[in-house]
Amino acid sequence: MRRLFLVLAAALLPIAALPFTAGAAPDDYTQVERGRYLAIGGDCVACHTIPGGTQWAGGRGIQTPFGDIVTPNLTPDEETGIGHWSADDFYRAMHTGVMPSGAHLYPAFPYTYYTKVTRADSDAIYAFLRTLPAVHNAVDRDTLPFPFKVRALMLGWNEMFFRAGTFEADPQRSAEYNRGAYLVEGLGHCGACHTPMNWAGANDAARYLQGNVLQAWTDPNITDEQRIGLGSWSVDDIVEYLKTGRNARAQASGPMAEVVVYSTSGMSDADLHAIATYLKQRGAAGPAAPSPRPADDAQMQSGAVVYTDNCSACHKRDGTGVEAMFPPLRGDQVVQQTDPTTVLRIVLQGAQGAATDAAPTAPAMPAFSWRLSDQQVADVVTYIRNSWGNTAQAVPASDAARLRKRVADTAE
Amino acid sequence: MTISTRRQLLASAAIIVFSRAAFGHTILGKLPWRPNEVYPPEPLGSPGWHFFTPGEAATVDAMVDRFIPADELGPGGKQAGCTVFIDRQLSGPYGTYEWLYMKGPFPADPLPSQGLQSPLTPRQQYRLGLAALNAYCRGKYDNRAFAQLDADAQDKLLDGMEKGEVQLPEFSARMLFGTVLANTMEGFFADPIYGGNRDMAGWKLIGFPGTRYDYRDVMQNPNKPYSLPPVGLKGRVSADRSPT
Ligand code: HEC
Ligand code: HEC
Ligand code: HEC
Repeated sequence: MRRLFLVLAAALLPIAALPFTAGAAPDDYTQVERGRYLAIGGDCVACHTIPGGTQWAGGRGIQTPFGDIVTPNLTPDEETGIGHWSADDFYRAMHTGVMPSGAHLYPAFPYTYYTKVTRADSDAIYAFLRTLPAVHNAVDRDTLPFPFKVRALMLGWNEMFFRAGTFEADPQRSAEYNRGAYLVEGLGHCGACHTPMNWAGANDAARYLQGNVLQAWTDPNITDEQRIGLGSWSVDDIVEYLKTGRNARAQASGPMAEVVVYSTSGMSDADLHAIATYLKQRGAAGPAAPSPRPADDAQMQSGAVVYTDNCSACHKRDGTGVEAMFPPLRGDQVVQQTDPTTVLRIVLQGAQGAATDAAPTAPAMPAFSWRLSDQQVADVVTYIRNSWGNTAQAVPASDAARLRKRVADTAE
Repeated sequence: MTISTRRQLLASAAIIVFSRAAFGHTILGKLPWRPNEVYPPEPLGSPGWHFFTPGEAATVDAMVDRFIPADELGPGGKQAGCTVFIDRQLSGPYGTYEWLYMKGPFPADPLPSQGLQSPLTPRQQYRLGLAALNAYCRGKYDNRAFAQLDADAQDKLLDGMEKGEVQLPEFSARMLFGTVLANTMEGFFADPIYGGNRDMAGWKLIGFPGTRYDYRDVMQNPNKPYSLPPVGLKGRVSADRSPT
């Protein structure tokens, strides 16, 4: 615990007060430990490791609309890793998305967020990466089809969608809010998933944190919006979710389960509190609620039957669920997102929540694809989106059919 | 490894015990789970009989309809699919007692508490037993098979078989009676995915709610009638198919 406080205190120190030198010797214990902690906050290892492979050695394909981009090896191996990179090289990559050779990195590496990271924090992460055992692992850096394989294209992209710049605190806000903003807008790169994207795969700043769809998962609205955002969540609800992967209202599954396991569950309570404070105080934004489906709608009636027979045993007939075991669907945000992808997917292929030290059980929901037709899936999803006070758009059977094809064989 | 003698069985048990000790490990991390992981029930397969000959099927149809006759309470054994159920069971592992130790010795006059004491697999019991029953009928009832007798005659004959008063040629009447009766009840009350209990007739008859597994709502409302229809492993509608 004391170590945590030290780390934290160090993290909160003003940049100027920190004695740092580029390429700090790896025996600078405080800096290395701070770097280790910051790397957790940046969720680096989740992307830079093949599931089941050597940590930090890269090789995982990151899905983008333009093709998969393979993550490089971040261990200090001279030939295949970043052994020959200096702290300046590293900062340049984090801050501007450019490799030492001058070639551009793709924003699948979230430099559009990491640009906000301070030089001191970048150096700490660098110092930590130098302490990793060097692993020889060459990965294919050239996986995109033409024309996207031309890295120089990113020049134009950056011109249009990217401004390099370190985080600047808002003097009108509390120190805690600013700490949260630094983490969410920077290392945490929460917006990379939670913000809608434009045609070029860039996050749409005007709709920051208002929800998105990636890899056939809905990334919910995490502004302070009441119906589909975090408006009805308390700061403590958010902290508990990020720390343990669940709270009385929700369980993190899919990509968010990974974020919790690799990143937020390893963050300090103070930092999580800062993140939650920022998310709660930043403001609310989102679409107006549609009018709820009438109870005598054909989909609602058929959905009620499917729900009673298949779902009520766990989620209860009134949708209130069982605390710490089956999430409530009544008043649930994931269920009411404008885009129903996650809900359809969970019904079709099942889901398992995150397992963390604080909540190791990770209860799972079984797959229903073998038992429910596309129409039944669409009906039950429409039903839970419009019962017990929930409101959201009805879902057509064609959506269920499309997703059934998409997730039929995936192990994601 | 196929295990064919008791000694091999013991030896393999020993291997299992020792290898558990040698390779025992603790499971860490979360419970294993994979997306899309399902074990859907095996479909009933193509229409038509899988084990029975048409003559055997007609005999079993007649028997299950005497065990569970159609009446004002609902359909009989045949209409509820009991013969289909038995046919599919016989064509699967049950038909050969695949998982049972089937070597002797078998006492000639076993106690009831000794359970099954016969080298005959269910397939053999049906094949030989039904042939014996029909041979008996043809001899006794003017060359008519069991299925062609009227209901009274069938009942009387079954009654005699149960009591051991009827001697079938070269087959135990009691064994045939007991096997078919037990399988009929199984077919009438098993989940519809196995071909019997069609339209959940058996469950509706006794008010069994099926594979629902949560009754908190009901428990919290005592003395109110339970109104939900039964539900099977495949849902509310049974997706079984009748043969031919
Ligand atoms: C969302 C997935 C993702 C996360 C999270 C992520 N990276 Fe990466 N990173 C990538 C991808 C993809 C590339 C390769 C981009 C390319 O080839 O243009 C990359 C490239 C890099 C590079 C360039 C290496 C080289 O050899 O060119 C560095 C350095 C790097 N990441 C560091 C980090 C650090 C430090 C963190 C955590 C603070 C991090 N990354 C988090 C996906 C990620
Ligand atoms: C890799 C993509 C990704 C990243 C990065 C990510 N999230 Fe999420 N997040 C998701 C998805 C997907 C869900 C929905 C999870 C579910 O359906 O159970 C989610 C859910 C949430 C929820 C719960 C919302 C609800 O209504 O249930 C919160 C709170 C949240 N994220 C906060 C964050 C924060 C804070 C960060 C940054 C530290 C972050 N997320 C980073 C994908 C991501
Ligand atoms: C055996 C118990 C069980 C049954 C039956 C069940 N679920 Fe679930 N459900 C769960 C568990 C456990 C979770 C949490 C898993 C996770 O978040 O990854 C969950 C999660 C969900 C979620 C996501 C909630 C959120 O906030 O992320 C939805 C939506 C959902 N279930 C709908 C349904 C529907 C619709 C049915 C019926 C077709 C159903 N469930 C049947 C156990 C069950």
